[in-house]
Amino acid sequence: MNTNNNVYTIVYTTIIVVVAAAILAIAAMALKPKQDANIKAETISQMLTAAGFASKEDLAKQGNDQVLAMYSANIKNAFLIDAEGNKTGELETEGSIELQDNLKQENKNIASGNPSLPVYVFEKDGAEVNVIPCYGAGLWGPIWGYIAFNADCTEILGAYFDHESETPGLGAKIKDEAWFREQFKGKKVNFSKPDDAFNIVKGGAPAGDDSAVDAITGATMTCNGLDAALDTWFKAYIPFLQKKAGSAAGDACCEDGCCEEGCDHEHNHEHNHQEG
Amino acid sequence: MNEDLKKTLLNPIFKGNPITVLVLGICSSLAVTVQLKGACVMALSVIIVTGLSSFVVSLLRNSIPNRVRIIVQLVVVAMMVILVDQVLKAYAYSIDKQLSVYIGLIITNCIVMGRIEAFALGNKPIPSLLDGLANGAGYGMILIIVAFFRELLGSGTLFGLRVLPASYVPNNLVILPPMALIILGCIVWVQRSIQKDLQEK
Amino acid sequence: MAKNFFDKIRPTFSEGGKLSWLHSSFDAFETFFFVPNRVTRKGGTHVKDCVDLKRLLIIVVLAMVPALLFGIWNLGEQHSIVFGLGWGFWQKVWYGFVKIIPLYLISYIVGLGIEFASAQMKGHEVSEGYLVSGFIIPLIVPVDVPWWMLAIAVAFAVIIGKEVFGGTGMNIWNPALLARAFLFFSYPSKMSGDSVWVGGLSKALAGGTPWKGGEVVDALSGATPLSHASLDGLSAAGTSAWNLFLGNIPGAVGETSVIAILIGALILICTGVASWKIMCSSVLGALFVGWLGTVGGVTDIPCWEQLLMGGFAFGTVFMATDPVTSAQTETGKWIYGFLIGALCITVRLFNPGYPEGMMLAILLMNTFAPLIDHYVVSANINRRLKRAKTV
Repeated sequence: MNTNNNVYTIVYTTIIVVVAAAILAIAAMALKPKQDANIKAETISQMLTAAGFASKEDLAKQGNDQVLAMYSANIKNAFLIDAEGNKTGELETEGSIELQDNLKQENKNIASGNPSLPVYVFEKDGAEVNVIPCYGAGLWGPIWGYIAFNADCTEILGAYFDHESETPGLGAKIKDEAWFREQFKGKKVNFSKPDDAFNIVKGGAPAGDDSAVDAITGATMTCNGLDAALDTWFKAYIPFLQKKAGSAAGDACCEDGCCEEGCDHEHNHEHNHQEG
Repeated sequence: MNEDLKKTLLNPIFKGNPITVLVLGICSSLAVTVQLKGACVMALSVIIVTGLSSFVVSLLRNSIPNRVRIIVQLVVVAMMVILVDQVLKAYAYSIDKQLSVYIGLIITNCIVMGRIEAFALGNKPIPSLLDGLANGAGYGMILIIVAFFRELLGSGTLFGLRVLPASYVPNNLVILPPMALIILGCIVWVQRSIQKDLQEK
Repeated sequence: MAKNFFDKIRPTFSEGGKLSWLHSSFDAFETFFFVPNRVTRKGGTHVKDCVDLKRLLIIVVLAMVPALLFGIWNLGEQHSIVFGLGWGFWQKVWYGFVKIIPLYLISYIVGLGIEFASAQMKGHEVSEGYLVSGFIIPLIVPVDVPWWMLAIAVAFAVIIGKEVFGGTGMNIWNPALLARAFLFFSYPSKMSGDSVWVGGLSKALAGGTPWKGGEVVDALSGATPLSHASLDGLSAAGTSAWNLFLGNIPGAVGETSVIAILIGALILICTGVASWKIMCSSVLGALFVGWLGTVGGVTDIPCWEQLLMGGFAFGTVFMATDPVTSAQTETGKWIYGFLIGALCITVRLFNPGYPEGMMLAILLMNTFAPLIDHYVVSANINRRLKRAKTV
């Protein structure tokens, strides 16, 4: 057979391409649920790590199902908020778990003033734990993370950061070095400075500053990126966090000094919102 | 097993190693050798891709129109690579995340296309399969050796388990790509001092 | 007398002698102390010149001595300031001396050890190129670098940077810079940041040792001018251009004092050992990009001040001019130097991840030096061909 004539060539390549496409399509369809589950489990295990339910390493060893089960067992509710901190929608937490994990898109939406930000409320030892994400640019690629707050959102309980391509041994330490994450514990978001609510300070955070942690030596650019990411996302969340702080503080409002002047106002505002 | 097959199988491992002798597939060996685990998965993926695509192309070899043979080969290789990538995404997600784009880049690994052109197009399916597997293995072996040194010196661990004492200060240069090239160079150096006939005058 | 000693023991090492396998080592020591025994035979046409490679290298070493001496004093000075010790002159010198000696011992023992071993293995003569590299290395690394790290870096530089290419004269990159680059990329926490450049500081910080005066925080914010490269940063750190010129600032031992380096440059240029073209063009390149930077609003540091900062002066004078790794053709030298200066400032302005651009600039241009030469030579050939045709 002459394999070099045009008709043969065209028919042959068409068949090859169609067959290859068919095989790939079948494979993709068959594997898709499993892949999505992996991505979801990865995201959830980052949240669970931030909230302090387990360490990332332990979660990685467990199967996806256990991770999802752990999520469903501990989550109270998950919802979306807008730029004013008002609830706009619920996320499914049982069965087919819904996540708002397109952080890149939300990062753009924050800039345009119309975000739809997720809040995941877990219950740990009888107290609420609020987990929110952050996202930004590192030195080489995107960096993101999850930050867990206590019930009234005045104190950070834990954090977990991940990155796509930071330098191993330098920028990658935001993920790898436990001490870096640990320093976030007990810190506060500075509500009075919404544009610069949190700082990662090169050369060491000043003692007594509740809204600053030490940067990583040799990873200035990644730390600056993370600092900017935290500032952006905290700013977007501050209306929500403040409401939480106001409502939870309630009667014990001015004891902890969290709200010098805007306390009552915030409290009322929250109240109004609940009525409306 | 007859002599020819044996030679097909053993030659690419040492004497005609695709990386150290033919100097193919260098790029990916720089990128995926930071950790032993990733290197092993990469090695396995390449073995599967080279073996299967050589096999499939050899099956088709008499019917492939000569004018479009490179394109047909590419389609076959690309299909294999995407399949491997999809399977990894589904069953070894954390490793797939670590290998990121490099699984996809197996397509551009010269070893795959090189063996198809040089061997599979002119040989029966079974020897082609063996040739592909053996070349993949030769590649994988070097990958694993390089990764062994890089993970050991760069992180003090092997397969993520700490083997050097905690007082060992990890060497960051070993984690950066240039050191992979230097380690590769040292392997070539060792091989050529054993196999004198490879030395260039 | 020493000459007699060498003459007496020579037969032992020459062919057939008891220790003939050590002859290359013997040769090395002998020629290090004396002009080589072998003198060009009379009768042939040759340029009359008493300069052999070793004398040349010794001049380079001599040229670096002012920078070294200043650096030794400065080590003590910085230590004394940071810890609020109020030391006198000799105390400072003594401190610096004690700090620097181990670095030199390591640099030379490891480096020469490998040189000798490989010369023995290959049956070559030991080449003396390492004398200069070994002298430079302690001048450009942080004074507190752990000794074992320095040893590894030196071994790496000599083996991978030099021996694999065939030893002295064949290397592509400047070995001293390679050692520094190795340290820089391998152990960044020991090589960059604010605390590594003052003797004893990082240890004190790590150990929480109490110090007098408690001024460490102040000193920290002002430690390396390069890391806050803007005028505000500089003045906040209390570093004036005059300080930069004089060199009483924290930094690598030999790199801080521009005056001491200029003395060295003078020696090198007067003796004709180093190429003034490379130095000149490198300064021009730096000024040019520094000027572009100020015009373009990237930085507010005047371009001439860039020349005083970091390792630029030291690199230009002692490392860019290394005859082995720099461009060989005269036009090539201009291009090579200019690009070093320009690249150095470019890296400083645009890559805050690597504040010291000089090391990278020189290493990169080392790589391209043969290419530059190639094009200069072929351009020359073409020009001559054209001329020949038109005639």
